[in-house]
Amino acid sequence: MRGHCYTLLMIGLPFAGDGLVHASLLGLGILAALLFYAYEKRRRGLSDPRLWPIAGFALAFGAIGSRLLTWDVSRQVSLADWWGNGDRSILAGLVGAWLGVHLGKRLTGYRESTGDLLAPAVALALAIGRVGCLLTELPGTPTGGGWGISLTPGQAAVLGGPAGVGLHPSFAYEIVFHVAALALMWRYRDRLPRPGDLFICYVTSYALFRFGVEFVRGNEVLWLGMSRPQWFLLAVLPLLFRRMLRVFGEPLRPELKGTAA
Amino acid sequence: MSKDKSPQEDEELPEPALGPMGFGILLGTAALYAVYVGVPIAFGGPASMRFLTGLSAFIPIAVYLAVAVVLAVRPRTSRWGAGLLIGLGIFTLLGGGICVGTLAAQTRA
Repeated sequence: MRGHCYTLLMIGLPFAGDGLVHASLLGLGILAALLFYAYEKRRRGLSDPRLWPIAGFALAFGAIGSRLLTWDVSRQVSLADWWGNGDRSILAGLVGAWLGVHLGKRLTGYRESTGDLLAPAVALALAIGRVGCLLTELPGTPTGGGWGISLTPGQAAVLGGPAGVGLHPSFAYEIVFHVAALALMWRYRDRLPRPGDLFICYVTSYALFRFGVEFVRGNEVLWLGMSRPQWFLLAVLPLLFRRMLRVFGEPLRPELKGTAA
Repeated sequence: MSKDKSPQEDEELPEPALGPMGFGILLGTAALYAVYVGVPIAFGGPASMRFLTGLSAFIPIAVYLAVAVVLAVRPRTSRWGAGLLIGLGIFTLLGGGICVGTLAAQTRA
């Protein structure tokens, strides 16, 4: 906050680069998600013992995917180095979790949709986990105004960002998105036409949101002013839109039924 | 929330507070941290490691994953397997990847 008394909207970053704070909030997010998953499973009356292994597949493969699926061979970095020091990505984690769920369902023989059960838990985990990112990571690009998150020279050196200018709190934007998404999913959790529709709505809206927020995230630009996540999302969004058309092609269910996953 | 409950809920057996899945999470996470943090410390730091460097650093995690998947798929051990898989996810997300990567990056002398 040094030298920025001229504005009340410039805030600091008290835990810049603090891995313990980041990991603690991520851990809290995982714990909250597991508890929410258990609650929602019970609320829906789902007692199939295969549902916990499927959640395990989602978490394990999501974690592995967040590290491995971002591996950029063009940078000539070994997989081992990438695993330890390479980029992490929530998008890659979601892809890994999706693959894990499909593998788990195939191996256990579970046939029903599980997306609606998992989606609110994922939103809760991301809302809490992103608080860790907000407190510790480079927040975003310069706002160009007298507001935003301001780094001290020491923090800027650690995080690789500019010091003394307001930066977009892009993780705060994402937290707001996930909280809003969780509230909407809670509101409409039993009203969408088919099992899996809630998950499609959440993933599609997150993909759209993430595409937009990437413009102020400050990730490396890959091509035509867009980052790697944006190019990935450009490829995926048409497929998601196609699924969304199916969701909104039918009216909402008028009353709670509450047993579909 | 009582009106949200479905009829099947009343027929469900209560789930154990911790049970095999909780123990699987604790045991799995602790085992992975023991291998990737405790063993290097016991051997005098990552630089002195010989058997757990390079790609061989991934062997314990691969074996662990294989065992967890097998247990998760078998009905009698599915809760243990689920716990081990969740433990792997927690370890990998909460900085365990750095431990594995640091060991893997150690070159053989």
